[in-house]
Amino acid sequence: MSAPGHFIALFHSSQMPGEIFNPNPVVFSTSKSAARQSDLLAHSLWVTDSSQSEDEADDVEPIDQDEIYDLIRSIYDPEHPNTLEELRVVSAPQVTVGPNSVKVEFTPTVPHCGMSTLIGLCIRVRLLRSLPERFKVDIFVKPGSHQSENAVNKQLNDKERVAAALENPVLLDTVEQCLSNVGARGIV
Amino acid sequence: MLGVELLSLVVSLTPAEKLNRQIVRVLTSFFCGKLDDMATIKPALNGLATLTLLQSFSPVEAVVTIEAIFRHIKMKSIVQDQRFKVFSIIDSVMAFHRDVLKNMGKQFLDGYINLAEGEKDPRNLIVAFAIARVILIEFDISGHVESMFNILFCYFPITFRPPPNDRYGISTDDLRMALRNCLNATPAFGPLAIPVFLEKVSAGSRVTKKDTLQTMAVCLPVYGSALARVSARKLWNALKLEIFQPVDPETEQEALKTTQILVKTIYMDEEEALEHDEDIQGLARDACEECVHILKEPEKTQAKPAIKILCTFMTTTPSVARYTISQAVPHLVRLFLTPDEASTREPTLLLLSDLIAAARDSTKKSSLEDADPPLLPYKDEVLGVFIVGLKLITTRNAALSGLKVMATTKRLLSDEELGFIVHNVNEIIQADGEELYESIEAILEVLTIISDIAPRHVVEQTLPLLSSSLPDTAPARDDATGREKCWQTLTTLSKLCIQTELFEQLVIRLTTKLDLLCFPSSEQMLSVSADPEPTAAYAHMILKALAQALSTKVKGKHPDIAKYLDRLVPIIFNVFVSSAFLSEEQMIVAKEPRLVQVAAEIINFVVQSVPSEKQRFYSVELSKAIIDGNVSTIAEGFQKAAKSERFSIFDASTTSAKRNILALLSAAVISLHKEARLSLRDVSGFLEMLLRWVLDIADNDIQKLAALHIVSSILNRQVEDLSVFLNTKLDVYWNTEIVNDASPLPRRRWAIKTWIWITKALLVRKHPLAMKLTEQLYDAFDDEAIGWDAAKAIGQIPSPDTVLTKANHAEVKLIPLLLRGLDLPDAEIRSNIIDTFLAAAEGETPEKSLVAEHGVTLVNAMLKNCVSNDVSSTQVRISALRYLAVLPSIVRYDILHPHKATVLRELAKVLDDPKRAVRKQAVDARTNWFKYKG
Repeated sequence: MSAPGHFIALFHSSQMPGEIFNPNPVVFSTSKSAARQSDLLAHSLWVTDSSQSEDEADDVEPIDQDEIYDLIRSIYDPEHPNTLEELRVVSAPQVTVGPNSVKVEFTPTVPHCGMSTLIGLCIRVRLLRSLPERFKVDIFVKPGSHQSENAVNKQLNDKERVAAALENPVLLDTVEQCLSNVGARGIV
Repeated sequence: MLGVELLSLVVSLTPAEKLNRQIVRVLTSFFCGKLDDMATIKPALNGLATLTLLQSFSPVEAVVTIEAIFRHIKMKSIVQDQRFKVFSIIDSVMAFHRDVLKNMGKQFLDGYINLAEGEKDPRNLIVAFAIARVILIEFDISGHVESMFNILFCYFPITFRPPPNDRYGISTDDLRMALRNCLNATPAFGPLAIPVFLEKVSAGSRVTKKDTLQTMAVCLPVYGSALARVSARKLWNALKLEIFQPVDPETEQEALKTTQILVKTIYMDEEEALEHDEDIQGLARDACEECVHILKEPEKTQAKPAIKILCTFMTTTPSVARYTISQAVPHLVRLFLTPDEASTREPTLLLLSDLIAAARDSTKKSSLEDADPPLLPYKDEVLGVFIVGLKLITTRNAALSGLKVMATTKRLLSDEELGFIVHNVNEIIQADGEELYESIEAILEVLTIISDIAPRHVVEQTLPLLSSSLPDTAPARDDATGREKCWQTLTTLSKLCIQTELFEQLVIRLTTKLDLLCFPSSEQMLSVSADPEPTAAYAHMILKALAQALSTKVKGKHPDIAKYLDRLVPIIFNVFVSSAFLSEEQMIVAKEPRLVQVAAEIINFVVQSVPSEKQRFYSVELSKAIIDGNVSTIAEGFQKAAKSERFSIFDASTTSAKRNILALLSAAVISLHKEARLSLRDVSGFLEMLLRWVLDIADNDIQKLAALHIVSSILNRQVEDLSVFLNTKLDVYWNTEIVNDASPLPRRRWAIKTWIWITKALLVRKHPLAMKLTEQLYDAFDDEAIGWDAAKAIGQIPSPDTVLTKANHAEVKLIPLLLRGLDLPDAEIRSNIIDTFLAAAEGETPEKSLVAEHGVTLVNAMLKNCVSNDVSSTQVRISALRYLAVLPSIVRYDILHPHKATVLRELAKVLDDPKRAVRKQAVDARTNWFKYKG
């Protein structure tokens, strides 16, 4: 068993100035959620100002794939001023939601990406802060997309290591930087 | 020792004019003599510090003092405040006897350097840096460059952090600025400084990087172009790293700024010498080539920083800008026309658009503003590329943003070319289809920009296209698609027609259509009468479109709105007044209350934009209409009925349709300035009549509210004339209409609504009676029948409304009352109250917050309201969470800090709310509280 320190060490090695794992990944244009066509006129002849009608209905809206994807899509990549969505590191279909569990798979831009652990950590922190405690969150790199797949997965899903990592102020600061714009989400 | 101290004290207390040359000379030599004794050094320095400020302190004493200090003082063996005195003495001598120090030459420089070396206290350093700057600029330091460099650069970068409870008031930035002013004081530092900068920028922390980049930016121009040129490569390599792999956006910005200054420093000198089309050599050329090379993969992340660098080059020197554009623009154009993959076309256009935006902005606010735009030589190719991009759905939005930049570049496009753009954009509109709505915002932006420069094209090409797609008769009841299309076209028109000429056209076209719909020809009458609702709904859309356009114009404070008092308002009145008359004999479309409401909005927008001078004339006619029922002047238009007939709205025998017209009149009345108020003989009598009319005659909500709005706005503007009404009539009203349980319930409810509007009018004016009237409502809480309505009223009184706008902070006095209201069981009341708090939060800051003293109570109240349970509603939970999210930005951290953990814990529960919209607000609120730090 490697100590929690190993996580930090791995992170630190990826922090060496000038060392960049994927210097030039492709940026994809993101889908602005398609402007919902007003279907008001189909039900009624009249245009109205607001559509606050069904809000008070009793139906429960369970937490779903899109909602979780929306929480993590605007996390910044630690190496580039782009979001995980723009770099296609995460996507909605890579999120699976069960009654009390969430699985998030992400795709590093290159197989030797030393930032993978950090990216996973950012996703974990964001979900830790945004999801109810009853959810068990598992975070994995996409199978076959990373050289040290097992090591990365192990670190990301080990409670103690994650907790230890977050006690490191430098590391926490970097995570906060990556999370600085998460409020933007996709649907504005 | 006591003697020296006493003497020093006496000197400091003696009036300056009593200390003549003779005395000063004696005292100076006495104090200097005491500098060699550790026991007397402190009072001696104090004495000298006083003396150096005196006019009678002559150059001779200056030399004596400085020499004595250099000879006797060992800085390392005295404490901070004594060292501070030493620096202060030198600073004074520097201020009053600078030439003496210059004449001392090497002796002074050696002595001072020796003295200043190793100083660590920030208070002393501030003085030392000021002295050093003078030395560097004014003294001959040719023999001391290296030692001056050593005693200054050893502090760079400043890492000092003021201790908590800092008593000296010296910030990190104070020290940074003072040091920076030394580092850039002489070009002689250049060759020694560059390696230091390079090391600090690449190895430093975020803070160090930023400081170093900013320092370089102020130093490079002083160090000169020759040094910049020889160090260009090394500097560029360091800067490049901060741009292509930025640690944060701020550092990236600083690196770009420093790059710009570096390039400017290198090329500014030779600018004059360069011929117009001569190639440039050196850094700019190399860097440009490097970036253009990276742009070969426009879809990759590195393309963005590359284009940022090229954009920065646009604001350096004209020759560099010319060269940059000549390299990058043709390259991007080529890339678009012959892409490796079709998918790279969109990023290519976005990059091109960024670059030409930088080109456009580069000449702003400079002497080049009237020169030809830098893009001019490449205009045709670029325009061509964007027009091609427009035709493809995937590149359309990128092309539109490029066209927007071209249209906003002064002196770039000819009138004909602007027409050409409009023509091509119209083709997309015409093709219609689903995808049009993906781009409609961008299309509108381009057309709006062009309509500001050359409205003719949009008026002549786009408007006819859009309005011709609006049918003359309403889509049938089952034609939902047709209705949807009408609304989309009208929305587009209402967004597009904001500019003066376009709006004028819109009003003409839409009012004509409105009249046709409301008064159908005899052939159409039959089909409209069979099912009038679709026609009413279509007329409603048209009115809505006019209201939307006006709302945008009101926000932009457009001066042309006022003229529609003569051009639009009478037509609206004409349509509705005529309809009210005709409704007695035939089927009529425009008597539908929803239409009346939008019409009222339109009238309100126009009248509120009319200057009070002109309003005064209008209010005379308005008074005639309200009091005598004479509407002939305010309702001129196509229909005759409105002109010939008279009607008395308040008469019990009049029809409901006619009474509805009060809504239109009220919309005008509530926007009158105080000086343009209605001409009423007996104001109090008029208000009493309205109050009676609300309860006895008016037969629907529109009428009743219209009357109450008039009451409220008159009361608000003329409260001083109405003391009798307020002090006696209201008491009677309260007893007979509100607490009188013999009165029917609906009547009592309207009496409470009346009470609300009266109180609102006073509250906005901060009238003392407002509090009394609000308190009075609490007395009605126990009433079985109306207790509930009275409670709701508490929430409604301070909530924002469209009648008494310009909501001010009068609500704040109500905070304790409002807080009580937050415990009421009704969710709607609580939601109202929280929205009031939200409205009041705008403009609040932690430094100046009116809710701070209630911060803790508010936190607890909001936490209670964001939990999902039987007495909660989605709306109240969302409002409470929004307010919780705002609190950290309006209340100082030390006030709420003890509650941070509780808030985070409670919000964690709300993350499991059954409603998605609530969870989203909970996540955002929680994020703000995570970030909330001291």
